[in-house]
Amino acid sequence: MTKYLINRILRSICSVIIVVGIVMLMVYSALDRNLIFAADPNYSHVKSNAKEVYMMQQWEKYGYLDYVPYADYLRELVRDDEITQETYDAVVRFSNEPDQDSAEVAEYVAKFTQEYESQGYTVVRLNAVMRGNTKRYQDGGEPRLYAYKNIPVLMRLVNYFTGLISVDNVNYVQEDIENRGLTFTWFDPVYGGEKFSPAIMGNGTQYKYLVYCDDTFPYIHQNLVKINLGLSYSIRQGIDVFTTMTETQGSYIYSTVTYPSGVEQSSADDLHSAAYSAGSLASGTPVVKANYVDDYTNVSTNKGGQSRIGYSFTMGIIAVILSYVLAIPLGITMALRKEKLLDKLGTLYIVFITAVPSLAYIFLFKSLGGAFGLPTTFDMEKPTWLMYVLPIISLALPSIANLMKWLRRYMIDQMNSDYVKFARSGGLSERQIFTKHILKNAIIPIIHGIPASVLGALTGAIITERVYVVPGVGNMLTRAINAFDNGVIVGMVLFYAVLTVTSIILGDVLMSLIDPRISFTSKAR
Amino acid sequence: MSDNRVNLDDLNLSDDELFASVNHDELESEKITAPRYSYWQSVFRVFFRKKSNIILLSILAILLLFTYVYPVVIGYDAAVDPYINLMDSTAKHLSPSAAMAKFGANIHWILGSGSSGQSTFDAIWFGSSISVSMALVCALINMTVGVLVGALWGFSRKVDIIMTEVYNVIANIPYVLLISVIVLIMAASFWSMVFALTVTGWIAIAYFIRTQVIIIRDREYNLASRCLGTPVTRIASKNILPFMTSIIVTLAATEIPSYISYEVFLSYLGMGLSEMSLGKLIEASQNAMQTPGWEIEFWSPVAVASIITVVLYVVGQNLGDASDPRTHM
Repeated sequence: MTKYLINRILRSICSVIIVVGIVMLMVYSALDRNLIFAADPNYSHVKSNAKEVYMMQQWEKYGYLDYVPYADYLRELVRDDEITQETYDAVVRFSNEPDQDSAEVAEYVAKFTQEYESQGYTVVRLNAVMRGNTKRYQDGGEPRLYAYKNIPVLMRLVNYFTGLISVDNVNYVQEDIENRGLTFTWFDPVYGGEKFSPAIMGNGTQYKYLVYCDDTFPYIHQNLVKINLGLSYSIRQGIDVFTTMTETQGSYIYSTVTYPSGVEQSSADDLHSAAYSAGSLASGTPVVKANYVDDYTNVSTNKGGQSRIGYSFTMGIIAVILSYVLAIPLGITMALRKEKLLDKLGTLYIVFITAVPSLAYIFLFKSLGGAFGLPTTFDMEKPTWLMYVLPIISLALPSIANLMKWLRRYMIDQMNSDYVKFARSGGLSERQIFTKHILKNAIIPIIHGIPASVLGALTGAIITERVYVVPGVGNMLTRAINAFDNGVIVGMVLFYAVLTVTSIILGDVLMSLIDPRISFTSKAR
Repeated sequence: MSDNRVNLDDLNLSDDELFASVNHDELESEKITAPRYSYWQSVFRVFFRKKSNIILLSILAILLLFTYVYPVVIGYDAAVDPYINLMDSTAKHLSPSAAMAKFGANIHWILGSGSSGQSTFDAIWFGSSISVSMALVCALINMTVGVLVGALWGFSRKVDIIMTEVYNVIANIPYVLLISVIVLIMAASFWSMVFALTVTGWIAIAYFIRTQVIIIRDREYNLASRCLGTPVTRIASKNILPFMTSIIVTLAATEIPSYISYEVFLSYLGMGLSEMSLGKLIEASQNAMQTPGWEIEFWSPVAVASIITVVLYVVGQNLGDASDPRTHM
């Protein structure tokens, strides 16, 4: 069994990697990359050479290519002490056309060209575009020199998976700082240094608090291991998909916090999330300077609502529990009273839900619920339990119908089998036959689906969340597709793929635990 | 009983007149006398035995008549008719009674008028002709490819190993992503939508068929048939296909409405067709739903889409039941 499982898991990991690769191929190679400018107001404002450069910069941001302007190359040379600041100033300005360059500039331009072309980059020099015969440039007509290289899919895939999980370490910070290392404290300074609350803090790490405790579930939190699903470029610029899914939303929650400098203040800042941001103390506002003593100033804020995934999961899991609790007894009763009134009503309901477009009955229940005075939109500021009612009903209805349909089908199929006839001839009562024999066999495929429905609750629901304005994860993929946010698309696909693959394996394991006849070790067929 | 008996002596006929000798025929004696059985005849006999099926079938016929014949009869032009009253601000968002009072009581205005003064009724039937055609084309392609690949997948173990991995990969690519990427690459149109729905849509059907083939393939009667030397193609066509017919019909009955639902769903997300299909109509009128008095603009395409899908589904399911040979007794 273990050997089989390891084999299964390895194969599943392979298929997940292939899925992510295909999706990367689709979004980065198959799609016209000019599409990202379709809804970009800046695009129509920039002109001439500036437009070319703007496009390069945007494509680099969206992860299509690597773009290096000539000035960046020179600045790097200055940083590596290969040239002096004076040389930089002398050669950074190149002429309108290549043959007008001075000898020194031409030398560095040639060096730049050679350096990047040897690495497979394409070097582009755009000549100045003048306004008629005058000596003035057109709008954005300045000469440009840059190199760019498309990122190959395979390299992108490797980089993506190697950067997926990052473990914080004391050498994260590249700048020179004092006292690199980890410290352990029983009394967390965030609570004023008097309350008992153990924490592991780091200096030189990305996050200041690596492990800490607070009063929200699960009480012990960590910043040590982070999952990076991919950065967003347009939906939430520069923020990781995983963070977007898991951070709290809504209005700020204020509490008294003690800043590192000892200042006590009522603030929504979550000091436990303090991350390193180079030079932020020196360049910060007076408030930052008064509150902090080091460069760990990048903090997130405490907000009142749940996270995206939290809302989706709360609704999803209640709907899943509700559907199993209702559908299993209903399905059994339908099979027991085949062709009777209840069976006919149930079949009517199943036909309705299966055949009618989901959009139609979600809107139907929204207007019905609205007529009964239930809240039809989600409001994070004034949360009530009532606003969960309609989304949960909308989520539960189709899964109840689906479970009922299959349970009834499986039970009726089992009713005609030989072992049931044998049990009946042996004198067992119909009730015993149903509960002890038929149900036990018919429920196995239903149990196989439990992990899929539980994990599926994490992915949210597209239509339901859109109709009831739920701030959940269900809409993230469609929003990312509409905004061409490739980082989010890839991240969400990985998230979905891992969940489905895991739920299939868990379903198989659960099935083999429930039914000892099912074995994955022996070669069936 | 005895009263009906006839005494041969009373007839006064000779033996030659009474009896004729029959030649003994080896070939003829092998034939088994049984009532003639025609599969499809039995299917329709069982199907039409239920009166409700006749009613449903006539509803379906009326729906299809409105979907395909009505727009042709009234000469609906998708480029002109929706904008015919665009400049008339008093013609927009009218309730059925107001529209009929304005334009006269005829069939075009029984569902009122829409946001640009067009007839909701005409727009719905034109939209449904696009949606239903798309569903039929998609179902035809997906079912054909799916059944053929599924049969091969179920029969060959080598194909099974490869296809299962392919299935694991393809089933994990979100449908919404695939469709939107294809629609973006190929520009939204009827055929790009068909391509998007069929490029991976067949694999779920193939997987379903594969499972059914595996279940039936190793049954005893097939084992016996194989032992007697029946070739695989004959086993597939004579032993397994008859079993699969009802499964395939039932599957088709679920597939066709599901494509209509899918088109509605995708249009609601803004990734649908360019033509005014049912989904597009629903998407375009969703703002009207929130305005009191205009709800009918939203609910009528939703209702028509629902009625079409429900009728198609129920007729298909009943036809599926009837095509199961076990119900032919």
